Amino acid sequence: MASKQKNTTPQQQRYQALQQKHEKKRPLLKNCIRAFFVGGLICTVGQAISYFYIYFFDFTEQSVGNPTVATMVFLSMLLTGFGIYDRLGQFAGAGSAVPVTGFGNAVISAAIEHRTEGFVLGVGGNMFKLAGSVLLFGVFAAFVVALIRTLLSMWGVL
Amino acid sequence: MRNTYRAMAIAGILLLSGCNVDQQGKDSQLALVKTTNPKPIVTDGQRTPTWVEEIKREVSSLPELYDVAVVKGQEGTLVVYKVKHLHRFKMKQIEKDVTSFLEKKHPKEKFTVSSDYKIFLEAVRLDEKMKSPKFPKKKAEKRFKEIVKMTEDTK
Amino acid sequence: MLKGHQSWVFQNRPMITATGVTGGPFEANGNLAKDFDLLFEDLWMGQESYEKAHRILMEEAIKIALNKGNLEKEQIQFLFAGDLINQITPTSFAARTMQIPYFGLFGACSTSMEGLALASFVINYQGAKNVLTGASSHNAAVEKQFRYPTEYGSQKPPTAQWTVTGAGVALVQPNEPGANHPVTTSATIGKVIDMGLSDPFNMGGAMAPAAADTIIAHFRDLQLDPSHYDLIVTGDLGRVGHDTAFELINKSGLELKRKQFQDCGILIYKDDQPVQSGASGAACSATVLYGHLLNEMKKGTYKRILLVATGALLSPLSFQQKETIPCIAHAVAIEMNV
Repeated sequence: MASKQKNTTPQQQRYQALQQKHEKKRPLLKNCIRAFFVGGLICTVGQAISYFYIYFFDFTEQSVGNPTVATMVFLSMLLTGFGIYDRLGQFAGAGSAVPVTGFGNAVISAAIEHRTEGFVLGVGGNMFKLAGSVLLFGVFAAFVVALIRTLLSMWGVL
Repeated sequence: MRNTYRAMAIAGILLLSGCNVDQQGKDSQLALVKTTNPKPIVTDGQRTPTWVEEIKREVSSLPELYDVAVVKGQEGTLVVYKVKHLHRFKMKQIEKDVTSFLEKKHPKEKFTVSSDYKIFLEAVRLDEKMKSPKFPKKKAEKRFKEIVKMTEDTK
Repeated sequence: MLKGHQSWVFQNRPMITATGVTGGPFEANGNLAKDFDLLFEDLWMGQESYEKAHRILMEEAIKIALNKGNLEKEQIQFLFAGDLINQITPTSFAARTMQIPYFGLFGACSTSMEGLALASFVINYQGAKNVLTGASSHNAAVEKQFRYPTEYGSQKPPTAQWTVTGAGVALVQPNEPGANHPVTTSATIGKVIDMGLSDPFNMGGAMAPAAADTIIAHFRDLQLDPSHYDLIVTGDLGRVGHDTAFELINKSGLELKRKQFQDCGILIYKDDQPVQSGASGAACSATVLYGHLLNEMKKGTYKRILLVATGALLSPLSFQQKETIPCIAHAVAIEMNV
């Protein structure tokens, strides 16, 4: 990918055009299809787990979300620890990154990686290196949406 | 690595089969997947009054729904249904419509309306249990109250 | 002796008398496994951190080179070496263990040829009798610093490259006529080239112009023609960068044949290994040159080669700050002693 800075010299632009010719593009369609199927498979597993909780425990469709997410994250942590999830990620791309298992993978992979720096500075300090921005912007987005909703209902729109 | 996969597969099978010892009727096992269409029931075990059967017929006639279960308890009536997949975005509106429709028709009765799979499953299970004559009526009423209470979390 | 603008000619022909090459498990499954002196079964190498394992790679390579050269570490005057980790600690810690006077070098993946050029220069002018030079990298330690955690499931684009786990060390000594060893004859030091690319997953594309610039400068300074060499090998351009560099060189008017232009990053792994565009890392050119290529030269497959190691001089901080990637390349010419 060429830089988007505008202050490139003509020589740099010529080279970037030449380089583009040799640069292999990401196979977008293939990646999308793979992501669709692997992502769908992960969600099917999640659905099966939530049915499992509905059948055998007293969870309703509304309340089954929490134990299902916890189980899925736990499974992805196991797969990360066994070194399987990163290979799945190379194959599936967004298919394995977008479901909640991808979040579990981001947390645990960082924790494993920095174990050698100790529990406080290493694991504690780096665990949310990748997932931290997901948490921050997720919470912030939820706050903004809730604020809008509150204001709208105060003015009687909703 | 192959052994890890195998061990995980075996563990998974054991987990699934191990939990299935709880004996259940065929209908409730498949209640989430196929249309069970249970008969309306009354917890005191008497013959179902015609107006309860009518509720079932009327609610079933709504185009967005399929598979309706009706349970009449001492203090109220539970109406559970499945919403057709393409209408699931409008579930809240449907629930409101069904409730107001029922309350208009039977102003004296207290209705609990739900579209939750879990409530549906429990209604079917209750129905199956009540088919056996040994099942005490008191227990049925107690379970009915528990189910109604469960619907409160889903709101 | 300086020749042209940026090249040295080593008229005393310093000799590479011994080498030590170590590698990790991924290299053991690669194309050139038989050219490694020592291959580790696992990435940890019995250590508790990847950084310590990285140090072990370097220490073992030095020990092997000393062993083959029949020297004790006290007989070595200088060590020219480096790696990719912050403040090049693995190499410095290895130098602490070995107690050899030490020049720490950083030229990213071009460190191997930077070291060999300096070592040859020192030997050529009798600055030392025995000099060690080398470079090392460790896949997991480098990934941890520059990219994501190793177990993180991100999808790498086809232009990404795989960092080599390994170390290559060479013992450079003054020439002895008649000895059957490879000698260094000249070196060209490259300048930093930045073509404005900023994607850290496409290092090959960023480094190709640096490689081309150094190769063109080499032939201009020494007034030679590409046919002078049996083989011109780039360090770690990968498939993308290698094709680009080939086109750049041919456009400049030099007649380079496809068959005599190779890349260490393509040679080292098999086609079915999941490395996308090829290999990279400081150890890539070091292990392939000091292992495979010198072995082939001793067998007589090649008489004269030019090795051009390329380095991307970025840091994890600089690419997050959206800086472009400046790149460098150094070339050293090696031929068999006659």
